[in-house]
Amino acid sequence: MRQFELESVEKVDQAVASQRDQRRDAFVAGGTTLLDLVKLDVMTPERMVDVTHLPLKRIEKLDDGRLKVGALVTNNELAHHELVKRDYAVLSEALLAGASTGLRNLATTAGNVMQRTRCPYYRDPAMPCNRREPGSGCAALDGINRNHAVLGTSNRCIATHPSDMCVGMVAVGATIVVEGPQGSREIPFEDYHLLPGDTPEKEHDLKDGELITHVILDAPRAGGQHYLKLRDRASYEFALASCAAIVELDGDSVASARLALGGVATKPWRAEAAEKALIGQPATRENFERAAEVALADAVAYSHNGYKITLGKQAIVRALRDATARTTATAA
Amino acid sequence: MAPTPYSRPGVGYCTPAAQAEIAERPSAAGGASAGNTRNVTLSVNGEQHRLALEPNAILLDVLREELGLFGTKKGCDHGQCGACTVHVNGRSVNACLMLACMQEGAEITTIEGLARSAGYEQGQHPIQEAFLEHDAYQCGYCTAGQMMTAAAVLNDRAVAADAASVNDAMSGNICRCGAYKNIREAIETARQRMQGES
Amino acid sequence: MTTESGKIREQDVRGQHTGMQKPRIDGTLKLTGGADYAVDRNLPNQTYGYPVTSTIARGRLKSLELDEALAMPGVLDIFHHDNFDSLSRSPNSFAEQNLTSEPRLPFEDNEIAYHGQYIAFVVADTFNHARAAAMKVTANYERDDGAITDIKALDSGEGELPGEVQEGDASSRGDPDSTLEAASVKLDQRYSIAQECHAVMEMHASLANWEGDALTIYESSQGVVFQRNALSKIFAMPPEKVTVISHFIGSGFGSKLFMWPHAIMTAVASRRLGRPVKTMLPRSQEFTATGYRPTSLQRVRLGADDSGKLLSIHHDGCNESSPTGKHDDTVSGSTPKMYACDHVAVTNRLVTVNKCPPCPMRAPGEASGSFALETALDELAVQLDMDPLELRKKNFAETDPADGLPWSSNHLIECWDSAAKRFGWDKRQSTPGAMRDGDELIGYGMATQSWEAMRLSSSARVGFRADGSLLVACGTQDIGTGTYTIVAQTASELTGIPIEMIDVQLGDSSLPTGPLSGGSFATATVLPAVAAAVKEALGQLTELATAEGAPFAGVETDTIGLENGELVSGHRRLAVTELLAHNRLGLVDAEASAGPGDEQGQYSFRSFGAVFVEVRWDPEISRLRLARVVSTIDIGRAINPLTARNQVEGGIVMGLGMGLFEQAEFDHSGYPYNANLADYILPVNADIPEIDVELLDYPDYRLNEFGARGVGEIGLTGVAAAISNAVYNATGKRIRDMPISIEKMLTA
Repeated sequence: MRQFELESVEKVDQAVASQRDQRRDAFVAGGTTLLDLVKLDVMTPERMVDVTHLPLKRIEKLDDGRLKVGALVTNNELAHHELVKRDYAVLSEALLAGASTGLRNLATTAGNVMQRTRCPYYRDPAMPCNRREPGSGCAALDGINRNHAVLGTSNRCIATHPSDMCVGMVAVGATIVVEGPQGSREIPFEDYHLLPGDTPEKEHDLKDGELITHVILDAPRAGGQHYLKLRDRASYEFALASCAAIVELDGDSVASARLALGGVATKPWRAEAAEKALIGQPATRENFERAAEVALADAVAYSHNGYKITLGKQAIVRALRDATARTTATAA
Repeated sequence: MAPTPYSRPGVGYCTPAAQAEIAERPSAAGGASAGNTRNVTLSVNGEQHRLALEPNAILLDVLREELGLFGTKKGCDHGQCGACTVHVNGRSVNACLMLACMQEGAEITTIEGLARSAGYEQGQHPIQEAFLEHDAYQCGYCTAGQMMTAAAVLNDRAVAADAASVNDAMSGNICRCGAYKNIREAIETARQRMQGES
Repeated sequence: MTTESGKIREQDVRGQHTGMQKPRIDGTLKLTGGADYAVDRNLPNQTYGYPVTSTIARGRLKSLELDEALAMPGVLDIFHHDNFDSLSRSPNSFAEQNLTSEPRLPFEDNEIAYHGQYIAFVVADTFNHARAAAMKVTANYERDDGAITDIKALDSGEGELPGEVQEGDASSRGDPDSTLEAASVKLDQRYSIAQECHAVMEMHASLANWEGDALTIYESSQGVVFQRNALSKIFAMPPEKVTVISHFIGSGFGSKLFMWPHAIMTAVASRRLGRPVKTMLPRSQEFTATGYRPTSLQRVRLGADDSGKLLSIHHDGCNESSPTGKHDDTVSGSTPKMYACDHVAVTNRLVTVNKCPPCPMRAPGEASGSFALETALDELAVQLDMDPLELRKKNFAETDPADGLPWSSNHLIECWDSAAKRFGWDKRQSTPGAMRDGDELIGYGMATQSWEAMRLSSSARVGFRADGSLLVACGTQDIGTGTYTIVAQTASELTGIPIEMIDVQLGDSSLPTGPLSGGSFATATVLPAVAAAVKEALGQLTELATAEGAPFAGVETDTIGLENGELVSGHRRLAVTELLAHNRLGLVDAEASAGPGDEQGQYSFRSFGAVFVEVRWDPEISRLRLARVVSTIDIGRAINPLTARNQVEGGIVMGLGMGLFEQAEFDHSGYPYNANLADYILPVNADIPEIDVELLDYPDYRLNEFGARGVGEIGLTGVAAAISNAVYNATGKRIRDMPISIEKMLTA
């Protein structure tokens, strides 16, 4: 494992001041992504700044009804928080569907936002990968791409974003708060992660020196919520396809819907067109299937991942069904 | 009678003279040869250890190679198997993905200190007793990690006691021997005993 | 058959210790962190090794750039083709017990045969330094195109399988070709199983230390004697100068039977540096450098009459082998013995691929072969509109159909019946998709399980100590099966000394030669040697006791026995401790050997079982789960039913992996795509079904005096077939290619 310097900071402004270049400096908290990738020589920071002592560990309800989550709140803490379980069940379920007990105890909210793809070619410096080494090529395009994305891909990169939490956050709606040399700014969660396009190495909208301090969840949405994760084994595996659904009913019809997808896309994926297709329609299986078709309409299959188009649709239909059932249950 | 007299808590099999020599030699996990070390005090199983570690020293390697606490195992080194699970401030975590230098001030518990950390001064933690009775292992290599996770899960009110919740909470600890059925039964037995005590 | 065994059973008196459930004697060590696995120790002045591997699958290594790595902190040396010691290959003989997994020595030449082949070995003062430097070694290659890593791509899909026929594997009886031709019901299908990795939890590891010209190597090994012998040949040293120690092994499943090159690199580096070198392979290298169950292609042709009587069986197999070490998995090898059928032909072929050598993996051959044969039988049952269990019963072999020998003991019919009853097989509906529960379709499937019962030769030493304890030593290993405990149980049974007072020493090549821990033969092999050694030691005690002036002077020696740690003759008793004290002796010990005898030509020894499974398929979310497994196994006497049942349960879990998840993948360039534990999918706790295992208890005294046939492999056999058959029952989809992944279900 390569050498690096390690510093510790106590205050957010110290952290911000400490970072000069994202490629050479890294903030470290849970470390579950960073240390994994440093061991593999995929991430090569020369300096790490330990931010675990920053006062960013609280979850607080804001006056406007939103929920402000500190960057250092661990995945398990967030998943089991009473307000999250009550008002953001889909996020709690998504968090608990991810990783393992031990990893969720380490992994933080901001760290999960910064999670890197699990593409095996990305994770091996000996292999070509545009995301890791711009211009080196993409080994997944003509290699094995069973785990890869069918939505949001480019001819430079087809790697999935692996997070479950982020899919839950896209569904509930959220804002990322960063602190930087120019002060604080907010980024809509959906805009944070970038499509690979021609520059897959640019994974997010974070500038040098900026530190994620909070994620603010939108005020709770009405309706039933459900996160469904489909994978080979029953636990401790990244999604092959997942769906976070929130469905609000007005009588038998869909009043509002939020749909986000994981495992099938290059970033946490909001299926907005599918949401629109649902609104005002009766909450029937046929309409769920139509929405699923809309959501995957632009999907592009590669040699080994064509099944994900089917699986993604299945995840949507079932998640909608079960979220709807919870609506009814709540209403009753 | 235990089958091997070779292993002692701490440094494994070597002579007292060798142990003394080990104590003198430079760090093995963090390494001292680069001169890029810092002094760190780690609290492990209730004991304070003053160590000179490189910034990139991984907690798992320090526990094993520096402190001779070989009960914590390396199974993948990447958070993919759970064999290295220890407790840090009472929570189960993967020691392979932690920088040792960041754990200063934390209370670290390994399998060697599990019973004592939970107040079982004499004998073993109920999870250890239950693993023995239910034969909840075969090769024994993932076992410390299984028990460390199980002990934490049993103390965690956020994890429901139903089988599906416990099985999912235990799924980050892979047992290639496939002793899962007995592991489940052992956890249930330990839960009952721990409830009986409280 | 039944009557004979019944008689034996009546005569049998269960021991006080053998046949009883006993917690492991090494349990406390394993549960407190005290068990010393290979690298769970630090030696003075120790260093750390880290291998560098090839990143191409085929070609030549032109040069290495080492300057940057050598300049890194703590690096002591880097070993490679140009500076490695000149060594000799092991003769690689099973009979001489010096077989290695990869006969080619490390860095022997610059030919690259597979991605992951060792090209250099970095040694540094710390693990972190060694790994960091290994990442900085740059290799220049001359890459050859056409690396082969997928034998399925070579198969035309009909007719003969690809590969080179292995003459030794072919056997034939009767006239299978024309019988098949004439049969009224025929089946001709192909089956395949993806490459599986052992994925042992403890990576392969060595800690080598030279003292003068003697080498001690702590190794995670299933065969300390084999490794000792191989190292002595490779280093041209007398065997007594090499000691291999393996007190505890983080499982092996076959991948640690025969030494791999990392141990040689470690030993050479240690000798060159004059310091101990500790190497634990990184997890990724476990997928490329330490063997695997080879991908297999199989073709099964069955001929039957309308009543379901098997008229002919053809079973052709084909498995991967390697340029650097041949491995024949003989996937069709057991088929001639499975069912009564007069016309049978089996073959096996090999295809050389650009991977490291395959090696035995739990139930080698049979785990793969039973999948094909037992799935084919299910397909035949469908064709015949017959219950798959009835079909098997109809073809039960009263004697070994391959050689005509009587079975030593065979209770397969009881296995079938008992497991079927506990499972509720009578509730099965044969029409696919007819059973449903909410969103899920339910399927039932079954298969026969089997494994040959072998016994080899072993030595053991037993020593009565002055403090009343008993030493039992054997150069075999406990790989997690419970060997420490059953040896203690047996010694306790034979001497009456309490288990707590028995000191079992295993896993050290300097102990009397013991067997490999593999093939389910360790139990049947080791326990008779322990008994022989006890008998030998008793002889010495008797001699002391009956010497002139001794307490038993004048007593007929053949009336003297051992009970409760005392010599007993009639009403007279003499504590062994007293006898030793009387003679001022600290220890009376004896070594003896035992091995198979004439019985081997008189009977056929084989364990059988039956496995029934329930799968659940949720078609709307493509979710396939194993819900329930019931198995009944006849392994003779289980010396310790607690650990024996655990073995069968573990085999079932591995069968779940084979059936639904496990698949080592290589891309078109030969790149190992999922060489880690996140992408190579193993069963986790949440996948585990309800498991109900029953062990019948019919001691097989024809194999050995303890009636034990061994239990490590059989639990795995048949499981993948039972799953596949249940999937058909649930869905009508017949998946003949393991594992049954989501995409296969979606396209079938």
